[in-house]
Amino acid sequence: DPPLISLAKMARQLLGCEHVLPSHLVGCIRTVKTTTWFDEHLTEDNQEYMRKTTAEEYRRQTAEKLNPLKDEPWQRHEWTEGSRRVGLVAVKLGMVPVWSKTGERHVVTMLQVQDCHVIKHLSKEEFDGHTAALVVGGKNVSPFNRSESQMEMFRNAGVPPKQKVTTFKVSDNALIKPGTPLYAAHYRPGQYVDVTAKSIGKGFQGVMKRWGFKGQPATHGQTKTHRRPGASGPGGDPAKVFKGKKMPGRMGNVYVTAHGLKIWRVNTKYNVLYVNGSIPGHKNCLLKVKRHTRAHKHTQTRK
Amino acid sequence: MSSCQTDRTVPPSCGRWATLRLGQIAFQRHFDRHGFRSTCACVCGRSDMAACGKGLDKFMFSLRLLRNLQLQNERFLSTSVCRLAVGGSSEQPPKFTPPSKPVIVDKTQTVASTRSHLSPEFIPPRQRTNPFKFYIERKDMIRRRKVLNIPEFYAGSILAVTMADPNASGKMNRFVGICIQRGGHGLGATFVLRNIIDNQGVEICYELYSPRIQQIEVLKLEKRLDDNLMYLRDALPEYCTVDPDMKPEPISPTGEVPVNKLKVRMRPKPWSKRWERPKFNIQGIRFDRSLTPEQMEHAQKWAQPWREYDMLKEYDTSKLEEQILSEVQREMSK
Repeated sequence: DPPLISLAKMARQLLGCEHVLPSHLVGCIRTVKTTTWFDEHLTEDNQEYMRKTTAEEYRRQTAEKLNPLKDEPWQRHEWTEGSRRVGLVAVKLGMVPVWSKTGERHVVTMLQVQDCHVIKHLSKEEFDGHTAALVVGGKNVSPFNRSESQMEMFRNAGVPPKQKVTTFKVSDNALIKPGTPLYAAHYRPGQYVDVTAKSIGKGFQGVMKRWGFKGQPATHGQTKTHRRPGASGPGGDPAKVFKGKKMPGRMGNVYVTAHGLKIWRVNTKYNVLYVNGSIPGHKNCLLKVKRHTRAHKHTQTRK
Repeated sequence: MSSCQTDRTVPPSCGRWATLRLGQIAFQRHFDRHGFRSTCACVCGRSDMAACGKGLDKFMFSLRLLRNLQLQNERFLSTSVCRLAVGGSSEQPPKFTPPSKPVIVDKTQTVASTRSHLSPEFIPPRQRTNPFKFYIERKDMIRRRKVLNIPEFYAGSILAVTMADPNASGKMNRFVGICIQRGGHGLGATFVLRNIIDNQGVEICYELYSPRIQQIEVLKLEKRLDDNLMYLRDALPEYCTVDPDMKPEPISPTGEVPVNKLKVRMRPKPWSKRWERPKFNIQGIRFDRSLTPEQMEHAQKWAQPWREYDMLKEYDTSKLEEQILSEVQREMSK
């Protein structure tokens, strides 16, 4: 049992427990949050010690996983038509132009695959009864703000805790042992991918921005009506507004997938994928990248 | 001819003399330093050889000072051609043709600029992007710069750009113009060239790192009073006309870039933008020619004097620039 995790647990119990109110606030009806961060009440040298030990621990864990002799991988199978491979979790860096050999200019997004590890294998029965699944995690993050159940999962895989954890449906001949690192070389230039990410949150937005309504004219006698939705339905016959009516509300911060994006270039030294076009999400956000299966109509590929 | 030629390597000073072979002064100098034989080795044409001989003949008879030298170098005069020349003193000396002015093109040394200049597209904008992305982009930019020489230029310099074009005859097209704007960051950096051709103003926006660009030549390197010369669209056409066959002017590798403090005269209003407003901060227009003092004062209504004190809008790039400049210079020299 690594000593680090128990230290964190101890720290949380002694110092920043959310459920115990300090004495002068007992009896208050309003919810008082007393959460602190893990090193608020630690001394300087203890804080440093915690940071150093976490970093060392991560390095040790990643190094262990890289050695195939100590950690034998599962058996590799042949590719068949219709088999699905695992995807990756990447970080969106930014956009750059790219020129093809014939001189055409395309814009690409750079995705960096940072510390991607397979965390868990869910067999057919555990997952949904039809296909097996692999749980993959992205960027490394501190263990102090993760719950015990999550930490258990990471501990079983022998992998540092990750910021984003996603499941990929995978065919039986593409199963990978938990703990194997995944790199950008997983994909080759010329392949097509689907990228899923949480779109940028725009907050509470009106109907014109959220749904693209036309609004009303600026002049010609319009009284206080320029960006309103207008009518909300048919009239007396249904005598109701249908469910799902497009109305103002919170926009963004939902998972959106961009389908059929071509990979122009792969940098295997720094694990960077150059993916065609734009991608939902802000810079430095975590994305789920998987192979495109050409079943969806909203694709960039023309085939 | 063959008897005069020697097998030993000719020192570079001999090469210089070869262009000045008809000059009498040169004769004297090289007669002192080298034997006649070694100088003959660089001469190519037979007629030149004969001319040498004739010149030498004239020289010996005209100046007494060389008599001693002649005695010393007599063994070098043992070539048959020279003897023949000495023998033919009875014919008329040829009319003296002054030597052609030498144009010394030193192709062995490239003019390396001692002025350290960092192109503005290397400086990253102030964003919440990972600096690692700029590092990767810079690597690609340096790779391209190693293949194509992108010279130092500013808004106001005159450039000639040759671009590969599949539809043009000869597959290349060349455009000469004055650079009015440099924009973009990283690989997407652009510059706009403007010229007036057949009474028609033409502006072309080129991408610095596009592989279609074959050559960028700076015909005249200079700066203007502003960074953005978009107002030249509303200026009189004489300020944008650049001769397409202009010859490149010599650029000094050291010292400051010359600033052209030209104040441009504008066409009558309306202009494409209200250039008199303080947000554009244009120094290079002669406003007194187009606007009254009242109009200038009215334009000051749009002034935002608090902006210069706004600390959140400050972006100090000096340290970043130094770092990036040293990195770029290191990579380029590899």
